[in-house]
Amino acid sequence: MIRTNNLQKIFSTEEVETTALHGINMDIQDGEFVAIMGPSGCGKSTLLNIIGLLDNPSEGEYHFYGTEVSKMSERQRAQLRKGSIGFVFQSFNLIDELTVYENVELPLLYLKVDAAERKARVEEALTRMNIMHRRNHFPQQLSGGQQQRTAIARAVVAKPKLILADEPTGNLDSANGEEVMKLLLQLNEEGTTIIMVTHSPYDAGFAHRIVNLFDGKVVTENFHV
Amino acid sequence: MFLNYLKIAFRNLLKHKAYAAVNIVGLSVAFGVCLLLFLTVYHEFSYDNFHANGKTLYRVYNQLGTDQKGTVLMAPFTPAVQKEFPNEVRRISRIVDAGGLVRVGDKEMGKNVRLVDPDFLQMFTFPLIKGDANTALNSLSSVVLTEKVATDLFGSADPIGKTVSLLLTDTWQPFIVSGVMANLPENSSVQFEVLGRFELNPNYQASKDQWDSQYHSVFLQLDEKVSEAAFEQRLRPFTSKYLVETLRNLKRDGAQADENGDLASFRLLPMRDMHFNAEVGGDTVSAIKPVYLYLLLVIGGLILLIACINFINLSTARSLTRSKEVGMRKVLGALKMQLAFQFWGEALIICLFSLGLGGLMAFGLLSEYKKLFNNALSLASYKDPIVLLSILGAFLLVTILAGGYPALFMARFNTIEVLKGKISSARSSSASAGGLRNTLVVVQFAIATFLIVCTLIVWQQISFLRSMPLGYNQNQVVSIPVGSGVSGQKALELMRDKLAQQPRILSITGTSRNLGRGTDGSTYTSIIGFDYKNRGVRSHYLRVDYDYIKTLDLKLLAGRDFSREFATDTTTAVVINEAMAKQLAEKNPIGTLLNINDGQPPMQVVGVVKDYHFESLKQSINPITFFIDTDWPVNYIFVKIAPDNAPATMDLLKKTWAEVAPKSTFLGTFLDENTNRQYRSEERMSQIFMSAAVLAIILSCMGLFAIAIMVMTQRTKEIGVRKVLGASVFSIVALLSRDFLKLVLVGIIIASPLAWWGMSKWLQEFAFKIDIEWWVFALAGLLAVLIAFVTVSFQSIKAALRNPVTSLRSE
Repeated sequence: MIRTNNLQKIFSTEEVETTALHGINMDIQDGEFVAIMGPSGCGKSTLLNIIGLLDNPSEGEYHFYGTEVSKMSERQRAQLRKGSIGFVFQSFNLIDELTVYENVELPLLYLKVDAAERKARVEEALTRMNIMHRRNHFPQQLSGGQQQRTAIARAVVAKPKLILADEPTGNLDSANGEEVMKLLLQLNEEGTTIIMVTHSPYDAGFAHRIVNLFDGKVVTENFHV
Repeated sequence: MFLNYLKIAFRNLLKHKAYAAVNIVGLSVAFGVCLLLFLTVYHEFSYDNFHANGKTLYRVYNQLGTDQKGTVLMAPFTPAVQKEFPNEVRRISRIVDAGGLVRVGDKEMGKNVRLVDPDFLQMFTFPLIKGDANTALNSLSSVVLTEKVATDLFGSADPIGKTVSLLLTDTWQPFIVSGVMANLPENSSVQFEVLGRFELNPNYQASKDQWDSQYHSVFLQLDEKVSEAAFEQRLRPFTSKYLVETLRNLKRDGAQADENGDLASFRLLPMRDMHFNAEVGGDTVSAIKPVYLYLLLVIGGLILLIACINFINLSTARSLTRSKEVGMRKVLGALKMQLAFQFWGEALIICLFSLGLGGLMAFGLLSEYKKLFNNALSLASYKDPIVLLSILGAFLLVTILAGGYPALFMARFNTIEVLKGKISSARSSSASAGGLRNTLVVVQFAIATFLIVCTLIVWQQISFLRSMPLGYNQNQVVSIPVGSGVSGQKALELMRDKLAQQPRILSITGTSRNLGRGTDGSTYTSIIGFDYKNRGVRSHYLRVDYDYIKTLDLKLLAGRDFSREFATDTTTAVVINEAMAKQLAEKNPIGTLLNINDGQPPMQVVGVVKDYHFESLKQSINPITFFIDTDWPVNYIFVKIAPDNAPATMDLLKKTWAEVAPKSTFLGTFLDENTNRQYRSEERMSQIFMSAAVLAIILSCMGLFAIAIMVMTQRTKEIGVRKVLGASVFSIVALLSRDFLKLVLVGIIIASPLAWWGMSKWLQEFAFKIDIEWWVFALAGLLAVLIAFVTVSFQSIKAALRNPVTSLRSE
């Protein structure tokens, strides 16, 4: 339910213009697990930001679940993004001043979910990510794997249809990385669409489809069903 | 959600204690100082605002020529106004000081007695607790007391109908208490404790038809339909009708006409302006110029501004550490305004906390403050809704100014960049935030330097005034105010008799006017005008006694001092100063005859003394004429004492005075104390400036210190790279400090001309003043630079000493 048509993204400063995306056409169905690969600077993250409604393309169309969003204002995108997309980052991006529980609760606060339901859903997400015992700790007190599991809990707590993961295992050792990938796979099997940017062919192996980008263009697409 | 904001706010404060401390301490101090200054200004502006008829009440003054103004009016003026303007003037009252001794039984006390007309109680709002304001002063034998005096005299008994004796002339006269008045508010320019009828004044009968007899003030209440300007117009023909002789003399002497073409005029000063008009306002309390009050507000504002600048700078600098939070919140769907509100709320918490602390501080410092700046501030005005609203308004303004900008600044962070960690130090510190921060640091140091320069110059001027030779002996001469209840002439003679044998007493004399300002606080001068060779001549006219010149060590330039050997010295001899001689334009003025008093024999000049500063150094030396006439009062006794063991001599004087005038308290002071007291308002100003300057410097440095920490952290990598490439510690300290010192220098450059301009204006008040010298600015600048350098170098040395390996790895 994600469809892009000839997406272009050009970054310009006073002196130089850099074309990051060069006419991307993409179709992602509900329930898919797609990995985006490619060398540094090929435009993977730019594409993910546009898909995640954090940024607008310079040109082209982007249909997000049937809505054309490429010309939307930041305010409109924020409204659409809230609750429908979960994000997982390489560097976790947990808020240091909030506990594990409070970090996971944050999306529900912005969605104005009432207190009782919030508690139930946060606890459910924490249990599921096996981080419940650390609920009152601050991020600095956790291992990398625990931090990323908290971040995933935060991404899923609002029950989004789509999860975007930007190198989710990049800062983790292989055991923790493996665990995170299994969690993502499990979410996908339950019906969540996942789009993941990764450098690691191993991680990409979990996906249904691998899209290879090079210099802002899609070069190959591999399906493994 | 709100709870979440609160949690984050408090955890942030705890985590970054240094920043929280700088902000809270700075803002609390600023709020506290502002509260005190604001309450002071509010108190001063509240003077005389409690009269229900306030808008129609005026004090009358007269103006001769273009500049000579006076509030001491002619005896027949009030009846003439009543006769000529029955419709325009609703009420009018004369008021005159009538000394102060009050007696009930054998209880005798000094009280502030004023004689007024019956209208007084109706035109002013001095409510009676007992008795009827409409009739209380109908009888010449009635008096009205304030509650405090009533309690002092009668205790808890009802004073109405009881008898009080007043010493208005040489004998005690009985009066019936007809009213008790609530104690006067502190913010009243008109102050008194006992009121009696004006006609009781001993001069009344003899002078009531004399237009040349001037001894009282006049207040009046105009009809609501008559404007101030219209009534002043009506007074012009009145003036021509009644002041015939004065006008004739003014014309002959070539006096200049005022803006209306009048040589003499009567004018009105609105009651509300009494406290602020130094020329014709004031009564017992000296008037204050509004510009000083605005200055206080400006100083308060500047301190608050410095604290706000710290807040803005610290918040924007620190916002980088919170960029991740901003980014993540945005990803989760927070809107810009939501984020801005969150950060503004955090500012609000800090400000609220600081306001509370500041309020406590103001409360705690109140008594010290009152002592230092000698004002009658009370906390009662806290309850005034205007005060509360102003404080609330100012508070909100501060939170919006100080909290709003950083909040918007943070809310505008680009989501993607902050999440990638791309909003790095270098970029944002060189971009708009850094530019603003630099500007604000410049403003802070400009303010601080400005205040330092002002402090230095005010201080210089005061020590200049203090050290300037005044032309008479200040250190050895004790001035004793005679006070009420005793004849000065008699006291002087008794003192001479009793102290004649004392070797430590060198000389004794008496005079009508003090030098400088004594602890009795009164100043008074008498000025005469007469014709000399068909020219009008004006001079101060000073009653002295034998040995005045000797006691004060004045230098006799020609002729002789008054002497007991010449019988005519107490009737027709005068001694003049150089300025007077110059005015007479006589090469040898000795023997010159002056027609000072009409219809009496002329006075002969017998001596000329070298000019000396008998007035404050704000004035140049004016002509003065000494005379001895025992009909004029001796108000002060001057005693010259031997320099050794002054305390013992002072005790001797005190003991002797108690024998001579048992009812008058000994208020003797050395003349140098009196002359210093003249500059008290200047001194107070220098204290205010100095305190403000110190605060400004401390607050600015606290801010600079915190910013230095931020910038050093941001430049860690740069420092590491430079060290790897071989930079020395010294060169790095220089590099890091240079940027800050540049800002301070710009601040100094901005502040110097402003301070120069402001201080030149202020110095114009003085006839004798210092020149503003360049080194003052250099010194102030050096001070600012030095303090800033020490502040910054703490951090820069620490940063420069760090091992580059750790600083590079941390990136």
